[in-house]
Amino acid sequence: MRKTLQKNSLRTTVAVILCGICFVTVITAQPKTVKNAGKTDIKDDAKSMPVYGHWKNFTTKDGLPSDHAYCVRIDGKRVLVGTHDGLAVYEDGKWETYTTKDGLAHNGVLSIDVSELTGDVWIGTLGGLNRWSAGKFETFTQFNSGLPNDLVYCVICDGKDVWTATGGGAGHYDTYTKEWEIFTEKNAPMHEPWTYGVSAGDGKIFIAAWGGGVIEYTKKTKQFKDYTDPDGEMEIDLLPDDGVVHDITTATSWADGMLWVSTYFGMSSYDGTHWKGYFDHDSGLASNFINFLRAEGPVVFICTDKGLSSTNGKSWVTYKKNDNSSDGMAIIKNYGRISDSTINKTTREVPLTPSIAHNFIIGVDADNDVLWVATEKGVSRGELIK
Amino acid sequence: MKKSRIISVIVFFSVLGLIIYFPGRKWARGHVNYMTAVEDHPLNCLSCHVYTQKSGFISKLVNRKYLSPFNLAVSRDGSRLYVVAQESNALLVVDPETHKVLNKIKVGNLPHSVILSSDGQKAYVSNEWSDNVSVIDLASSKVVDTLNTGDGPAGLSLSADGKFLYVVDSYSSNISIIDLNTGEERKRFNAGNNPTGTELSPDGKTLYVTSRRALIEPYGETLKSELTVVDENTQRIRERRNIESAYMMENVAFTPTGDLAMATMIRPKNLVPSIQVEQGWMMTYGMTIIEQKENGRVIQLLLDEPNAYYSDPFDIVITPNGKKAFISSSGVNTISVVDIDSIRTLFAKSTPEQLANYSNNLGISARYVTKRIKTGAAPKGLALSSDGKLLYVAEQLEDRISVINTESLETVGSIDLGGPRTITVARQGRRLFNNSGHTFQTQFDCYTCHPDMHEDGLVYNMASKDMGRNLTNTQSLRDIGDTPPYKWNGKNQTVYKQDGMRFSTVLTRTEQFNYKDLDALTAYIITGIPYPPNLQYNPNGELTESQLRGKALFERTKDNLGNDILENNRCITCHRPPYYTNLKMAYVKTLAVTDDSMLFDTPHLNNIYASPPYLHDGRAATLEEIWTKYGKEDKHGRVNDMSKNQLNDLVDYLKSLRAPAYENNIPKKLHAKN
Repeated sequence: MRKTLQKNSLRTTVAVILCGICFVTVITAQPKTVKNAGKTDIKDDAKSMPVYGHWKNFTTKDGLPSDHAYCVRIDGKRVLVGTHDGLAVYEDGKWETYTTKDGLAHNGVLSIDVSELTGDVWIGTLGGLNRWSAGKFETFTQFNSGLPNDLVYCVICDGKDVWTATGGGAGHYDTYTKEWEIFTEKNAPMHEPWTYGVSAGDGKIFIAAWGGGVIEYTKKTKQFKDYTDPDGEMEIDLLPDDGVVHDITTATSWADGMLWVSTYFGMSSYDGTHWKGYFDHDSGLASNFINFLRAEGPVVFICTDKGLSSTNGKSWVTYKKNDNSSDGMAIIKNYGRISDSTINKTTREVPLTPSIAHNFIIGVDADNDVLWVATEKGVSRGELIK
Repeated sequence: MKKSRIISVIVFFSVLGLIIYFPGRKWARGHVNYMTAVEDHPLNCLSCHVYTQKSGFISKLVNRKYLSPFNLAVSRDGSRLYVVAQESNALLVVDPETHKVLNKIKVGNLPHSVILSSDGQKAYVSNEWSDNVSVIDLASSKVVDTLNTGDGPAGLSLSADGKFLYVVDSYSSNISIIDLNTGEERKRFNAGNNPTGTELSPDGKTLYVTSRRALIEPYGETLKSELTVVDENTQRIRERRNIESAYMMENVAFTPTGDLAMATMIRPKNLVPSIQVEQGWMMTYGMTIIEQKENGRVIQLLLDEPNAYYSDPFDIVITPNGKKAFISSSGVNTISVVDIDSIRTLFAKSTPEQLANYSNNLGISARYVTKRIKTGAAPKGLALSSDGKLLYVAEQLEDRISVINTESLETVGSIDLGGPRTITVARQGRRLFNNSGHTFQTQFDCYTCHPDMHEDGLVYNMASKDMGRNLTNTQSLRDIGDTPPYKWNGKNQTVYKQDGMRFSTVLTRTEQFNYKDLDALTAYIITGIPYPPNLQYNPNGELTESQLRGKALFERTKDNLGNDILENNRCITCHRPPYYTNLKMAYVKTLAVTDDSMLFDTPHLNNIYASPPYLHDGRAATLEEIWTKYGKEDKHGRVNDMSKNQLNDLVDYLKSLRAPAYENNIPKKLHAKN
């Protein structure tokens, strides 16, 4: 995919991919030579970055309704997975599936979040939004409620508020007043209503808007501010670290004072003052094509089409599966600054047996010592190497 | 003056009087005939022109401000009753020994419930029309704090440790958890539809919240009402249990051992044609009983008997020994005494099939209802003394508390709360409104389908003589006197006609109201049913930006393309303020093939947010669906040019509509009366 493509065709193509409609496309990860720089114990690297191993993969053979997993969310002792064919819940070693027959708005589940306040599970699907509360599904659609659009790419809970990123704008639902607000290009600095991601932090909402970069909404003042690529639609980042790396953003995540932004052309971070760009050629990023990311504390987990990367901004750990086997590797890159002009880079590739289920990663969630990953070919669970 | 001149004057005035009298009487007769739709209603100007005045001097002259006790609590030592006087916005402190009202503590608007802290030092009163809870220091009889809640706070419960107050928000359908240390609302859950009743289990681990309205479902689906179960430990919803075929689950109580929970309920037969009324069994009343153990069974038992129904069950209390339950049936002025051991026996000795069948068995109540105790008009809240020996009953439309000995099951006293001695015409009308005595076998009363004088959210099959299906979405009666004509087909031009002979023919299936009663009922319906404030969507009259944009859309004359919108296709044309109806019939292309052919009376829209489902047959579950699903041809206003943002704005504006009394800031209209 090239930047020279028009935005609209890009949007359509990528949206289709995200929706899983084109999952038949075979994603061919480029194999790299596995190197082991003499050390097989990766515990040392875990000191600066969490490294996950002991991977266990789940597919339809294990009880998943579909291998096409779009998202994953850890909810205490259970794990919620959104798949192409329903919501899958992993609890006590068993998978249980919920579909439209149970009240799900659509079987294509794209996003899941859990309200810390109430424990209610909010589910974004290809056909509307669900609140799943104590076993009962309540459905919001663009026809029966103020939900902007039935194509709900992302849903998050922020206190009593629920935010959605949809094909028809960002939606804000106040669970106390039960009122909806819609934000589109008509009332927010967006180029068009298509939004892919939304996250909350620091009293703000960060919307990943197609072609609009990042839309920042300050809850207290109800004011918007947009962050777009200073290079416009240029393919290359002319001036490094001058802003978000591209206007077509796919996800945002805020944690520990840092905003992370994914695009199909690299990743950005923003500390409130400075932007920094990350690309596959100058960092440990597995690929510039990023579907989703989630920050947990100082670490961000990045879902790309060529594996799962994670970084704290300096060190990187990328998980990749080998093409022809269930094994793979963890590629660990440490960037240590020796002087102002010299950066020491070390790379180690550590074999993993088994590895993650597939290199096309769409969702991720981490909690305590566990990492769950949603891929095109199943769901993977990794344990922190202590 | 000469005698002949005097005679001439007398003759002149007599002739003049006769000339005026006969045509005048003829005119009056015609007028009354038109208003009442009968030809023999007495010509009594007072009934229409005095007792139906909503405001002004005459209204003050003929009406009284009643107390209307609704719920109550008893102090642990039994020395005080705390009575919610709903329509005087007060908590009454009563000495049950001397029968004296010791204090009248002003609280918020339309208080609903009262509970006492475990140390007996504080009372909490939910104010349904103020969206808050008054905290009262009982030693000083003063309100010491006011806690903000969701919309329409009703039922109250304290956590086992007394640190949290659970408030059931009846209008916004939430459960608010308030931290009593900070006075702040900690979290708010979604509950069932229009919840009110709540009770904490004896072990302090589980909170039940009952719903009055059923969940919105397409017509033909089995009715379901949610029983919301809160885990008190985690303060999360543990279960949302659908109670099938039931609604108006007003209150719930646990047995002291915690083996059973019992909730009042109505089982309506709204899916069968209304001609069923004359066969009986149209509306049945009873209890939903939930076994409190893993995989516990849920059964429904009726309070009714063959040929006698115990309408509008409201409150339930259980004696400390767990042997008896008392249930108030406000539609028949009765307290039913239920032997709980007999119910336990039913559980133990019945097959699952038998248990399921009991829910429709009118004869089985003889096995557990041991006595019916008559009360004054509209018994509502119940409270037992801590030793369980005395039962106090709030007689809402008597302004009294009756006292019942729970061993002899006799009424042993009556406490006059000091309300007006006079029963006004409208008050009498309200009693009739709340009483099933005018319906065949006391199957129901006006209040049954119009709880809180509003509507019950159900769609009924009002089969006509031609046996059209005529699915009918129950309409609210709030301020209904100002929005004739009545019925969806607009056939009744006045309340007199609506509630007169035809009413008995179609609905009550018994003798029609006599004219004195009809006058009283009409006086009440026209004067005594105000709107609640719209605190959720329009608390102070200042519209939000979205509502203002919606208002502009509501009043627009041109569409988004700049084309003129035909006058009869503009919202504002048919839905004109202050009631947002032009009182005329309209065609909006929603007639179903099973309906009799008709136009529809344009409904009023104030507080429309509180009246789902929508359209004449309730097909639209939400306001949005009126246009997204059923407005495709722009027959119900020009809307199809609107963006989703605009539709949201329009709906936001519609939700903001409230009664003219609030817009005009007329305080005297803000409270229920009569």
